Amino acid sequence: MKAWHLGRYFSVAALLGAWMNGVAADTSPAYEWDSPQLHIRLEPRTPEQMAAFYEARGFGQTMIDILRAQCYITVLIENLSRDILWLDLAQWRFTNTDGEVVRPDRNYWKARWQAMDVPLAHQSTFRWTLLPEQLDFRPGEREGGNIVLPRLGKPMRIHARFARGEDREGAPIDVAFDAVGCAENPE
Amino acid sequence: MKRLVACCLLALWVGVGAASDEGNALPRGVIELESYPAPPLRLEDMDGNAYDLKEDRGSVVFVHFWASWCGPCREEMPAIQRMWNVLEQEGLKIALVNTAEDEDTLFTFLAAHAPDIRPLMDADGQITEAWKPRGLPATYLVDRAGQVRYQALGGRPWDEAAYIDFLRVLLAEELD
Repeated sequence: MKAWHLGRYFSVAALLGAWMNGVAADTSPAYEWDSPQLHIRLEPRTPEQMAAFYEARGFGQTMIDILRAQCYITVLIENLSRDILWLDLAQWRFTNTDGEVVRPDRNYWKARWQAMDVPLAHQSTFRWTLLPEQLDFRPGEREGGNIVLPRLGKPMRIHARFARGEDREGAPIDVAFDAVGCAENPE
Repeated sequence: MKRLVACCLLALWVGVGAASDEGNALPRGVIELESYPAPPLRLEDMDGNAYDLKEDRGSVVFVHFWASWCGPCREEMPAIQRMWNVLEQEGLKIALVNTAEDEDTLFTFLAAHAPDIRPLMDADGQITEAWKPRGLPATYLVDRAGQVRYQALGGRPWDEAAYIDFLRVLLAEELD
């Protein structure tokens, strides 16, 4: 595959954000990280926002109840560099004062939905709202989606690492966000 | 030989600049792939009419995956409609695959955004999975030989001259 400077495009995260901001007032803070190579925005979503989104897609109540109990962070990533930047969520670390926060990946959710006989359409929609586990961000590319974490009631540190270059041999970019909280429903 | 001529036309077009990104060969947001055979795409449209991508072999096909909840998809759809208004009569085929939504949702959406387009219903999302798009929306360009040649990432302004001219170059290619 040939790489080109692509300009800016927009995908699932921007859209989720736009849709959800229409669902409920967004009172939760966003977290941003900028460098000449990379822009990242984290936007925690309230259970109410997420439940409304999935209810509007026809998800069943059991699935909604499970989803409502999670901590959602919508992640928007934009590659501002002229290199390929590699997203690999396995290289991200989530920690709080108790230690590592284990992130259920999309295989976990796939297995869980399959065990519940969730309709394939709902499984598919859920998957498309997730941040990809791995993606080679092309120069100028902007993509996003949700990270789903357990709701533990404590702020987290999120450390992300991006490999660089087509062969991933460039110096990695490390990004850290401190005191990231899950969004709560408005009182 | 004819394909060679089309490639030369593409090179000429590139030389003009054509709103491509910083002199690169393609319109912004379009990447060239190592071509590969198009995965199966057999679906029904909203009216229950069967569609099989294989039956469009010999034509250039614009294969597009989208969902109405996806903001960039919503923004892009009118541009696709306008592009198709121009290029349908020049032979472009289009396969707009909706990912995992129902007819009622789409009926309302399309009436407002692209009234002439009849989407294919990937009701369980499995065809979309098989094509492995990077995200939604996603567009693939399949050549007359049934090979996936280009991918567009994110929403693109398909009705702009750079994109229409690029598609015309593909349409100018003929099978050897």
